[in-house]
Amino acid sequence: MTLDLTRRAFTLAGLSALATPALIRPARAAGSKIVAATFPGSWEDAYRSTLTPTQAQEGFDLTIAPALAQDQIAKLMASRNAPPYDAILVSPGQTDVLIRNDLIEKIDPTRLKNWDKLMPAAQSAWGPHVTIEINGIAYNPDMVDEPTGYKALFEDPQYDKLVAFTGFEQNAAVMAWTEINKLYGGSYDNMQPVWELIAKNIDKLTIATSGDNQMALYQQGEIAVFMCSTGNVAHLNDLGLNCKFAKPASGVPAVPVTIHMVKGASNPDGVYAYMDAAISAAAQTQMAKAPTAMIPMNTDVPYSDEISAFITPEEVAKAAYPDWVAINKHRAAWTEQFDRIVAM
Amino acid sequence: MIRKNLIPAWPLILAMVLFFTGPLVLLFGISLRGPDGSWGFGNFATFLSDGFSRKVLFDTLWLGLRVTALVSLVCLPLVMLYWHAGRRMRGLILIGTLLPMLTSNVVRTFAWVVLLGRNGPIGQSLAGLGLVERPISMLYTEPGLIIALVQIEMPFLLLPVFAVINRADRATLDAAETIGAGPWRAWFTTILPQILPAVLAGWVLVFAGATTSYVTQSVIGGARLIFLPQYVYRQVGVLFQWPMAATISILLLASTGLVMLALALLSRNERLQAHG
Repeated sequence: MTLDLTRRAFTLAGLSALATPALIRPARAAGSKIVAATFPGSWEDAYRSTLTPTQAQEGFDLTIAPALAQDQIAKLMASRNAPPYDAILVSPGQTDVLIRNDLIEKIDPTRLKNWDKLMPAAQSAWGPHVTIEINGIAYNPDMVDEPTGYKALFEDPQYDKLVAFTGFEQNAAVMAWTEINKLYGGSYDNMQPVWELIAKNIDKLTIATSGDNQMALYQQGEIAVFMCSTGNVAHLNDLGLNCKFAKPASGVPAVPVTIHMVKGASNPDGVYAYMDAAISAAAQTQMAKAPTAMIPMNTDVPYSDEISAFITPEEVAKAAYPDWVAINKHRAAWTEQFDRIVAM
Repeated sequence: MIRKNLIPAWPLILAMVLFFTGPLVLLFGISLRGPDGSWGFGNFATFLSDGFSRKVLFDTLWLGLRVTALVSLVCLPLVMLYWHAGRRMRGLILIGTLLPMLTSNVVRTFAWVVLLGRNGPIGQSLAGLGLVERPISMLYTEPGLIIALVQIEMPFLLLPVFAVINRADRATLDAAETIGAGPWRAWFTTILPQILPAVLAGWVLVFAGATTSYVTQSVIGGARLIFLPQYVYRQVGVLFQWPMAATISILLLASTGLVMLALALLSRNERLQAHG
């Protein structure tokens, strides 16, 4: 049998074959693609390796897009009509900004199979809390003694030039600076004590550009102490570094981390499936292990050994939860003031 | 005639208008929007009336000028070596110049994190030689940032100069020496004027690179050395003040543009032209 194919027909068939995927892909993408923002680093790795395969099994093409919480908001603000993410992952400080700017929407909990498994405190109308970050002080026991609290970092000379902080763009730094301010007699409405403390000690401190930057400095031996979450310490331990978590005597600041549905998300069904997977027992068990060591919100999941080494459920219950609405009223001014004090 | 010659350039002109001039006009438009929704030059007035913001602007331009001057100093011996070298040696110098450019700016910057750190070779050597009591870190210091920027920006001055010096007329140097000029004077009065346009082009590139290098400035300079690129990012990513970010971007563009214009005018100076 011979195939009678003219040159024109052959060219047309070839071009049609080449064009077929382009014609099919948009239709498929519109139905199954989800873009979910997570924090860069260990969060990004954990979400990509744990949730992307389970979502694929359910027919959703999950893309994990790494971005800091503030960057996620900036991008949403820049393109309200065509949001770059369907779901985002932030802390209450950013949630407040997102609500005020009408960038996220409330969820329908009945769409989540695992909703009832969540602790009551993790059942937010704006989306499920996937973990609580416990903050404290990371230190290198080979270089310094365990800090007894924040005050020691400024008053004990062994910590001189070995302590890193970041500015008010980082949630961990906001919690640490406001706690320190309280210890020196200040309040949210009066940050003068902490400004004076920073100005007085600035030459003894390292001011890092971000939380990840602090960890890089720790790896390089540039610093021995930084304000951290338990997850940061677990990550450094997983990399083989000797790093310990110290709980400040004044109490451990804590902050939940929440997945939100972006207003105008192209694939709400996909976002619900993604939220449900993130709070499922399987995912929460996996993420409770090193290197992420995330405190589980699913009541069926016990604390892993890695988490238990840092904190107990009783201590988590007693943690200090900052007032983010009050903080956000001042945060922009604090950020600018901090820059002016630390600038060389 | 001119219009006919321009026909092949139309796609490029169209692309420039659409993707360069258009966004710039938009950026300028956004910069005119005030926090209360009004229009005008309020953001420019706010920025320029604030002493801290003016200091950031000055520091940025001053950083660019210092890096440009130091790159010139470091490159001069290399250019002279290239001039006197044979074909093979010239090839090696060229490869040595191009090699760092094969890695991204980010990789080169992080290499400097290792070199300038407390446990890096610089800090350890100084301590080993007994010049300092214990290893010091040059990270997050202005000298550290300038050293890193000088190395990263060097190829942008060297490459245009190498391209031009290949065509420089050696006979003029011989003539100057014949009539009694010393080697330095002969070089500076005959070869330097021939390569000066390339030097000025390189200065423009180095200055622009040093003043706008967000990655190197933030990774090596840290949070205490604040320059305009970080200031722009802070306005967008932390304070969510897009109009002010646009204002600062326009000011950065205008101020670096002015310095570059001055350099370009200098290059057209007749006395500085080759064989002027």
